[in-house]
Amino acid sequence: MNSIHDMGGMHGLGPLDQADNEIVFHAPWEGRVMAMARAMMAGKHFNLDEYRYAMERIDPARYLQLSYYEKWLEGTLTMLMEKGVITQEEFDAHLDKLSDAGS
Amino acid sequence: MSSDASDGADAKTALRVRALESLLLEKGLIETEAIEELVDMFENRLGPWNGAKVVARAWTDPAFKERLLQDGTTVLGEMGFDTIQGEEMVIVENSPEIHNIVVCTLCSCFPWSVLGLPPVWYKSAPYRAEAARDPRGVLREFGTEIPADTEVCVWDSNAELRYMVLPERPAGTAGLDAEALAKLVSRDSMIGVTKVAPP
Amino acid sequence: MPVVDLDLVKSLYKTPGAIRLRLDVAPRFKVGGAIVTRNINPLGHTRLPRYIRDKKGVVEHDHGVFHLPDARVIGAGDQAQHMYTVRFDAREVWGDEAPANDSLRITLWDDYMKPA
Repeated sequence: MNSIHDMGGMHGLGPLDQADNEIVFHAPWEGRVMAMARAMMAGKHFNLDEYRYAMERIDPARYLQLSYYEKWLEGTLTMLMEKGVITQEEFDAHLDKLSDAGS
Repeated sequence: MSSDASDGADAKTALRVRALESLLLEKGLIETEAIEELVDMFENRLGPWNGAKVVARAWTDPAFKERLLQDGTTVLGEMGFDTIQGEEMVIVENSPEIHNIVVCTLCSCFPWSVLGLPPVWYKSAPYRAEAARDPRGVLREFGTEIPADTEVCVWDSNAELRYMVLPERPAGTAGLDAEALAKLVSRDSMIGVTKVAPP
Repeated sequence: MPVVDLDLVKSLYKTPGAIRLRLDVAPRFKVGGAIVTRNINPLGHTRLPRYIRDKKGVVEHDHGVFHLPDARVIGAGDQAQHMYTVRFDAREVWGDEAPANDSLRITLWDDYMKPA
């Protein structure tokens, strides 16, 4: 699709910031989401091409705001829900349980 | 880019990730050891030290270099590097005639097997946009100036081929063995945004 | 669906080149051949960026047979076909402001190209 992800040659996307140069996960959640996305593809719940397309469908303004791994999380949730592996209700229930536990 | 996201936003995302993991575990779809193995692979086993080893060997072993350039997938497989999604590996050689630089304009595909995780700048919109259209401008931002009569070639990683640049061996390294040479090879030189600095 | 356990994960990452299809499919283009990329604008998934559509290039290498990403996303099977490295002059892609000697190389599937 002719969306924001197809950005080769675009102008105006900001200066190149070389500062963030490390080759590590910036927080443990990044590694977990990376692993879960790969695990779900390994389990054949969705394939890599579908996964990329899910991320391409993120609203353009949000796409530019989200970090790389935030996009991975969004793509994974979209795929799992579209494929009927999980439901929004189930996810929300787990999120509520964890939020309550933390507060 | 939200690399400077507030702690609040990051904590919220972390909670969502935990919620997903707990849901998938509850449904019996994943096992924790599988997740931890994947994290471990990327945190500890994959990194530019792999690529540096390949470069140093290519510099010191012409027969190896020839095989590597012909069939990167097989040769890197023989060296035991994990492949991530079964992708093919292609090594592209820099020379005085041609300077190669790699980008993935459509997402952020990267040669994880030999370079580990990509730096944030590689995945950023400015790099994905500019490297394709103005590689010399990007190179200049990394302090790399390529002569006008050298061909600068941008490789857009749009397919399941992952590219690693074999940078030029710098001057003043004639006496060094592969182990010493590997220490000189930076990750950025294997993406193609810099050259390997002389020792 | 099988549970994604440690064994499954470990088995996956020791299969270099697993993505390649071992199928006997004839290539539609020859190495050295001149091509022009198609001007397609699908709503679905494609790996043909806008900047390279309707551009003239030269086939440099035939990588063999792979699935077409566009097809897998719409459940249209693999549509196994050849995948090539194609070279484009920078000026062909970006206009006369681009350096004369520079180039861009990208991977193109049979379906993305026409003979020039």
